[in-house]
Amino acid sequence: MLEHYLPAASTYASDIDGLVNLIFWIVGVWFVLCQVVFFYFIIKFRRKPGVKAQYITGEEKEQKRWISIPHALVLICDVFIVYGAVTVWVDIKQTLPEPEESTPVRVIGQQWAWTFVHAGPDGLLDTPDDIETVDELRIQVNHKYRYQLESEDVLHNFSIPVFRLKQDAIPGRVIEGWFEATQTGTFDVQCAEICGIGHGIMAARIVIEPAADHAAWMSENAPRTVLAATTP
Amino acid sequence: MVLGKWLVVMAMVMAGFSGTANAGDAVAGEPVFDLCTQCHGTAGEGNPSIAAPGIAGLPEWYVAAQLRKFRNGHRGTHPKDAEGMRMRPMALTLGINADPALSGEAKQDAQDKDLDNVAAYVASLPQTKPAASLEGGDSARGQGLYAVCMACHMPDGSGNQGVGSPPLAGASDWYLFSQLKKFKAGIRGNKPEDITGVTMRGMAGTLADEQAMKDVIAYIKTLSK
Ligand code: HEC
Ligand code: HEC
Ligand SMILES: [Cu+2]
Repeated sequence: MLEHYLPAASTYASDIDGLVNLIFWIVGVWFVLCQVVFFYFIIKFRRKPGVKAQYITGEEKEQKRWISIPHALVLICDVFIVYGAVTVWVDIKQTLPEPEESTPVRVIGQQWAWTFVHAGPDGLLDTPDDIETVDELRIQVNHKYRYQLESEDVLHNFSIPVFRLKQDAIPGRVIEGWFEATQTGTFDVQCAEICGIGHGIMAARIVIEPAADHAAWMSENAPRTVLAATTP
Repeated sequence: MVLGKWLVVMAMVMAGFSGTANAGDAVAGEPVFDLCTQCHGTAGEGNPSIAAPGIAGLPEWYVAAQLRKFRNGHRGTHPKDAEGMRMRPMALTLGINADPALSGEAKQDAQDKDLDNVAAYVASLPQTKPAASLEGGDSARGQGLYAVCMACHMPDGSGNQGVGSPPLAGASDWYLFSQLKKFKAGIRGNKPEDITGVTMRGMAGTLADEQAMKDVIAYIKTLSK
């Protein structure tokens, strides 16, 4: 459903969308149900000539049922939501791919630009073949990346909507996470945490390319060159 | 080497650098300047605590040229250029509120108009007098070093539109220092298409170390009086 509005381009995008859908349908059904009951009562107990308004304390059994039964049902629904949320959380936030099967990439947020340090052909950071770019992240499709997120100044948030990825960057900390793209193309990267006057245009691009193209780009640009973006 | 530089300068002049529009309207630029006051101050006096230089009274052609550089990424896109990266989005927002129906060239024109107007307004502001903050410079030694700079920035530090060199007299010492370090390290003036930036980058290379930079700045400060 959400893919209709925004492509899903990472392995876990559909998990997040699934969770959003689950919550949408559960909460949606309850919402509609509540409204129906409310309107039914409003009409049923409307002012009628000769009938005095009563004050209901809600202490009698058959009145309390209107609360306790839905309460129990909502708690059961919660179990599904919590189960879904914890599973997705563990997969996305708690489990990092093994170093052997993934490539590191450093993501640095600062007022108001993103710097990406790509590991280069050797697949290791902080070696002479690293490739540093501004406002452009280049990755290979169907390959796991471990990102190390840093901030130079204030809070930022590294957000790639098509990945359904959103992670705060906190000055003084290195936050690790991962992603794996499932389709090629060029998509938006944005800052999703208010960070000052230029926050609204703190945007970058992510270019996802086939393995061969990506390897060609790396060997063309390593060792370390600084490629800076020319247009926003 | 020197000849090479002069060829570059000649090419620049022939390319019509000095002809860059001076078409701004300062009155129309005043509301645009609201944005700039956030960092550069209401009088364009600058704010050292966030590394925003004083810009009041800089020549219109220079302000317009730098704003264009920030906009097209010639300046403020190096990963180590934290200050330039803060300035760049500001240049990119110029004209952003122009009629949304516009597109292509018409949109570009609207953006250029805001840019040129605010440049004219900045140029119309009276120059401010920044407090000295840099210590340890020897102006006598600096005078010798300034002999190189004179060719472009003029003996009185007033700059020269013909070669695209801005006035230095009256600028904040901390800002001059930061820019000389950036030029020398290739953080500014590192794009081959940024002809004036590349020219100046070569010149910063003539200053051996930070002490030499402080010395030449100490001399430049004597020109401001
Ligand atoms: C968010 C803060 C901020 C805002 C807002 C801002 N600037 Fe800047 N500006 C800076 C910083 C920081 C620098 C220094 C960049 C560097 O060190 O290279 C700068 C540099 C400049 C320069 C270069 C000065 C020189 O001597 O080369 C010009 C010109 C300039 N700004 C004009 C403007 C104008 C015009 C506006 C309004 C449209 C504006 N700025 C808004 C922060 C800002
Ligand atoms: C060949 C001409 C030339 C010479 C010689 C030269 N400069 Fe420059 N300088 C320039 C140009 C052109 C610029 C503008 C760069 C740009 O457009 O970004 C500049 C910019 C600068 C700036 C940045 C000012 C600002 O407002 O951002 C400083 C500082 C500077 N020069 C200092 C010096 C010093 C010190 C020397 C002597 C060691 C020197 N220059 C020699 C041409 C020159
Ligand atoms: Cu941000």
